[in-house]
Amino acid sequence: MITVGVLTALAFALRFYKINHPDQVVFDEVHFGKFASYYILREYYFDVHPPFAKLLFGLAGWFVGFDGHFSFENIGDSYTENHVPYVGMRALPAILGSLTIPIVYGIMKESGYGTVAAAFSAAIVLFDNAHVAQSRLILLDATLIFFMSLTIYSYVRFRKLRYTPFTLEWWSWLIATGVFMACTWGSKVNGILTVFAIGAAVLVDLWDLLDIRPVQNTMDNFYRHFAARAVGLIVVPFIVYLSFFWIHFAILVKSGPGDSFMSPQFQESLSGNEMLVNSHEVRYYDTVTLRHKDTKVFLHSHTERYPLRYDDGRISSQGQQVTGYGHADENNWWQVVPTKALPETGRGRIVRHNDIIQLLHVNTQTYLLTHDVASPLMPTNQEFTTWPRDDHSRYNDTLFYLYLNGAHEGEALRTKSGHLRLVHVPTKVSLWTHREQLPEWAFKQQEINGDKSPGEKPATWFVDEIIAAEDGEDFLNRTSAVVTNEPKPMNFFKKFAELQLLMMQHNAGLTASHPYASNPINWPFMLSGISFWTENADQKQIYFIGNIIGWWTCAVALSVYIGIIGGDLLARRRNETPVPEPVRNRLWNSTGFFVLVWFIHYFPFFLMNRQLFLHHYLPSHVASALVAGSVLQFLLSDSVNYPISVRGLYTHPKPRQYAEIGLRGPIVVAVFTALLFGAFMYLAPLTYGTPGLDGETVNAKRLLSSWTLHFAAKSTA
Amino acid sequence: MAPSVRARRPASPPPGLPHTTPRFPPKEGHLDADERRAAASLGYGPSRRAGFAPGGFNITSGEWKLLVAIVVVASAVRLFRISKPDSVVFDEVHFGKFASRYIKTRYFVDVHPPLAKLLITLAAFVSGFNGHFDFKDIGKTYEDVPYVAMRMLPATLGIATVPLAYLTLRGLDCRATTALLASLLITFENGMITQSRHILLDSPLIFFTALTVFMWTGFCNEDKHQPFTDRWWTWLTLTGLSLGAVVSSKWVGLFTIATIGLGTIKQLWTLLGDMRISPKTWIKHFWARALCLIVVPILFYMAMFQIHFLILENSGEGDGFMSAEFQHTLGGHRMADTFADVAIGSTVTIRHVNTQGGYLHSHGHNYPGGSQQQQITLYPHQDENNDWRIINATQSGDPSVEWQSLKDLHYVTTDTRIKLRHIVTEKNLHSHDYRPPVSEVDFQNEVSAYGMPGFAGDMNDDWFVEIEQGDSRDHESSKRVRTLRTQFRLRHALTGCYLFSHKVKLPSWAFEQQEVTCNKNAVRANSLWFIETNAHPHLPANAPKVNYRRPGFLAKFWELQHVMWTTNAGLTDRHTYDSRPSSWPRLLRGINFWVKDHRQIYLIGNPMVWWLSTASVLAYTTIRGLLILRAQRGYRDFENTKVVKYDTLCGFLFVGWVLHYFPFFLMGRQLFLHHYFPALYFAILLLCSVFDFLTSTLRPRVRLQIAAVIAILAIWNFAIFSPLAYGNTWTKSKCHDAQWLKTWDFSW
Repeated sequence: MITVGVLTALAFALRFYKINHPDQVVFDEVHFGKFASYYILREYYFDVHPPFAKLLFGLAGWFVGFDGHFSFENIGDSYTENHVPYVGMRALPAILGSLTIPIVYGIMKESGYGTVAAAFSAAIVLFDNAHVAQSRLILLDATLIFFMSLTIYSYVRFRKLRYTPFTLEWWSWLIATGVFMACTWGSKVNGILTVFAIGAAVLVDLWDLLDIRPVQNTMDNFYRHFAARAVGLIVVPFIVYLSFFWIHFAILVKSGPGDSFMSPQFQESLSGNEMLVNSHEVRYYDTVTLRHKDTKVFLHSHTERYPLRYDDGRISSQGQQVTGYGHADENNWWQVVPTKALPETGRGRIVRHNDIIQLLHVNTQTYLLTHDVASPLMPTNQEFTTWPRDDHSRYNDTLFYLYLNGAHEGEALRTKSGHLRLVHVPTKVSLWTHREQLPEWAFKQQEINGDKSPGEKPATWFVDEIIAAEDGEDFLNRTSAVVTNEPKPMNFFKKFAELQLLMMQHNAGLTASHPYASNPINWPFMLSGISFWTENADQKQIYFIGNIIGWWTCAVALSVYIGIIGGDLLARRRNETPVPEPVRNRLWNSTGFFVLVWFIHYFPFFLMNRQLFLHHYLPSHVASALVAGSVLQFLLSDSVNYPISVRGLYTHPKPRQYAEIGLRGPIVVAVFTALLFGAFMYLAPLTYGTPGLDGETVNAKRLLSSWTLHFAAKSTA
Repeated sequence: MAPSVRARRPASPPPGLPHTTPRFPPKEGHLDADERRAAASLGYGPSRRAGFAPGGFNITSGEWKLLVAIVVVASAVRLFRISKPDSVVFDEVHFGKFASRYIKTRYFVDVHPPLAKLLITLAAFVSGFNGHFDFKDIGKTYEDVPYVAMRMLPATLGIATVPLAYLTLRGLDCRATTALLASLLITFENGMITQSRHILLDSPLIFFTALTVFMWTGFCNEDKHQPFTDRWWTWLTLTGLSLGAVVSSKWVGLFTIATIGLGTIKQLWTLLGDMRISPKTWIKHFWARALCLIVVPILFYMAMFQIHFLILENSGEGDGFMSAEFQHTLGGHRMADTFADVAIGSTVTIRHVNTQGGYLHSHGHNYPGGSQQQQITLYPHQDENNDWRIINATQSGDPSVEWQSLKDLHYVTTDTRIKLRHIVTEKNLHSHDYRPPVSEVDFQNEVSAYGMPGFAGDMNDDWFVEIEQGDSRDHESSKRVRTLRTQFRLRHALTGCYLFSHKVKLPSWAFEQQEVTCNKNAVRANSLWFIETNAHPHLPANAPKVNYRRPGFLAKFWELQHVMWTTNAGLTDRHTYDSRPSSWPRLLRGINFWVKDHRQIYLIGNPMVWWLSTASVLAYTTIRGLLILRAQRGYRDFENTKVVKYDTLCGFLFVGWVLHYFPFFLMGRQLFLHHYFPALYFAILLLCSVFDFLTSTLRPRVRLQIAAVIAILAIWNFAIFSPLAYGNTWTKSKCHDAQWLKTWDFSW
């Protein structure tokens, strides 16, 4: 009890020390601070992470009186000058980060390890520069790690009750696991890995429950267990997770910077949205501009022609060029021409879903056309060009189906809100563009071509504006009906599904390289960190890097564990049992669970193509600290505290035993903690961003040559 | 995994049985099938018979006759009109060309190891191909090319795959009917037929994969019979050699190595658990396998490359991929010895270390932008425009002539301040604060040639030499610049940037030569240079000379492996007929090989064989899953010898299928349907073993009838699609009718 008290107090001290420094926006506070202010202003924003942690920041900001006026625009913007109560907001992750320490300690104790091993694990997290740096700033990881360790703690408690199933306590810990799991997932996308880790453990557990052996285990018993876990670990978390989004949508009701990511229906549910204000129905013979949804270029054409022969020797049609152009221009004007008889006036003249249309380029009086000629950059796609208005010889090639995405039959085409695809009638290719520029002969404008199966996203266009109606009539007021500006409500589940899908797509799309992005293989060895913040005047910097002793100990502990397990397997194959059964059980089940958590929070990153940073390893680092503690226990003692699970009605009483650690345990841990603390203090100026360091000191603190610290002294060469 | 088809003799009778084992095993001849099985479960396996055939292949003489018949059929199917079309088909463009390069001994670089190409070349060489045909485009008509002989090689190997499949299944203890079915399914597999009728590498690959599985089966049977006999060693070595052959045909062969590797690990694990085997024997088992299955394939693989290097002794289109040392080993690139000592006044050519861009070069054309001064590039070929004179920049007077009056040689060392004079145009290497034409970033400066005859140049022509490293066997080369031995950097005196080049091509106005810049943040490797040739008028003719050190075989081997790997990883462009692995087992799309005169060759499998084989994979997965679940619920399926036999058999083939299929999902490069063929081979064998299992309780006659129905259906499928395999004439309506899936894009 004293141990845990001291550890917690230390954790608070280390995480709150000079929390007001720097009084500037640091690293990703740019994003997460901004999101908090959007909650306070109730403006819709879009982010790849689920909202729970950000809601907490919004709450914290609101609680300490932040009015949302500050927009966290750039790293280095001053908080004090803008009167932002940032300390209150930073206090939230600092508190959660500090509370992680007693939870880590608790996990170890509950899993049956001694005080010494538990303190060891807790100290590794406590004196870790990376955890401290991450918890002192407005970032999501502290929340994520806090709830992740709570999930593990609850699951361990739940597991210990396995001989007394379906009791109140059993149910409580099961549901607690589920709720905390949802909080973890709701904090950050990679929290889903915690769900997988618990899921994998539950599968193993269920597999054992399926075993017929212990007593005559009936299938009914198995089904009951299965159903209980499905409720506690699938249904409950899902409802909790949904409720985060429900609150998210309930708060964000105004139009904001996230609008343009969403579908037109979604945008129309936000008050003050452009779609509500500026959306008009398009009628035939209106002159319009067509804009590509993804790349924001206009469909453009000009009198220049495709060169006869491209650089790679292929030949074009030498027709008029059709390109994508980023700026407003008269050459972006197209007239929508019908292919069917129209009534003189009235709503029959409205362009509708599934109509076949022609597009007339107004300035050159030519029709948009595509044909079976390869496009300039992609031999597999069709070239787009135009054809003179009076020449009817290729009439069929100028016809396009107009498909509105998600529209019902006969829905009218509206500017801004109607997302459309143009599909060529004879060849079925879609009007398509990508971010590749044509050469000089097309003024480096974007290539447009026809793709047979483009997928929905890159083939989506919308009518940006109506430039003029046919005979100059006032197109803004031609509908007699009053335009409603009220937001149209949208079903919560539809909103949720849409947002989830977008989050996933954007998460996968974060592939741009970043100077501090790193490869997962480097993480356990901490080969490179992240520069969070620098100040040139005093040569201060925050460099996100862990405690080198702690991290490398964890790496060593993991390899020792694999060695022990491998040796045990080989020995058993030869009928020898070097490890007594209770100890072996502990190694496989408890430490194995920690290793599983470590593995599942780490390995999937190898399969991701997105930008990856060292802080993605922090959840795994906590798990590896748990492994380190258990391995230490194994090395120090030949026995374990046993049994630790609550005895059930039918379980046989087992002989109690206690781990004998003796004096060397506390000594080892004390020495190690001192070392940890020393390394922590040595790197502390990089973690707290104060005091400033001169070049020589920076060089000295650069323990590995791969760390890219600022203000290093130039080598005198 | 290992095809152990008989239950291993347990160490002691299963625990549940009462100890009523008779002291002498009953004679087998008197037993009916059930009793024999019971006897086998007690450990009196039939494998302990005296007459154990080599590799456990108990083939009757009737079967040999049957095999001959099958081979005749397979030959007829694969060789039918093999001379048609008489023009280049699909990748014959590449592999035909490589054969002609081998014959002309011109160096080339390809992403595949050489064995299969060497075999094709051998066929071409023996039939008198002189290499004078360029295989330029698909559809080009052959002239004076023994293309039939070249196609015969893949065709022969394709035919040989058929009896291998038969023997393998027999070795895996399947019935003759099953083995017959497998050989027929492979004979009439349209995809394999198409693939083996042209000059392509996949037919050798499939053959060697099949050969490996065959050898491995034989080895496993011997291993169960009695280890460490001469026959045991023979089978093991043959397995290793054929593994070497697979991986020397295509790198896909690594998957075969993984399959056999997993099988070996399982064997070793089983042996480790057998307490009758002493640790010493186990270690002997271990080393025997390590020697034959790791060392032998590696040696084989390297030997293939040795042959490759021996044949390709002259320079060719592949030179540009290789380093200067490597190129020097090729005829046509060999350089005469050159003077070792570099001094003020030397005429030198300077080469970039890290890229194969070539020599520091200038020519009488100017940059269209920037300073508009004369261009500096890297040029890969020897040319007098690569010649530079080293001039002392610290001397007063006219430095361009002053060196001639120097009596002694002034060697170039670190911090020697020099100018480099381009001899042909009489301009100096120059840098200044203009952005280079392509890499327009702040830390890059343009490098140009500046000056005029008689003009001594300005301070921007001055460079400091920084010796980076010398050769360890030439101590002088670390102290002063020595030709070929010293790598140095050139630092611009005024701006401190380093002369730099990277794999970026200049546009057509510089003839697409490589860009040279002066980089303030230069990566070390890309700012290293060395002097390749050197001459000085004051040097006596007997002054020390040097030349490239000829790289040994290992150095060349590793360099080529590296180049192959990077080239392979770089094949990411889309191809019209490429496909992703998920579509292969469903046969969603084929590959257009050749179209001419309204005839088409289109690679498409025999749909029935593909779909049935995929179904059998799914069936095995499902049944195995169910069995595991049942075992957990206390059912004793795994104590039934029949279940164990078919589980080990199917498990081995299933693992082979998985390992030859799933790794493709991780590859980002261009993939084609034909990458599925090795996996398909395993899937077909799996299909047949499932057949063997399902019909195991039927009478032989019924079994034969079922097999006949399946075979006839497969042949019917084959007949429908055969025009696409042979490029025969076809009516439009038949072609339409044959388009069973709308994703099959035949051209009509």
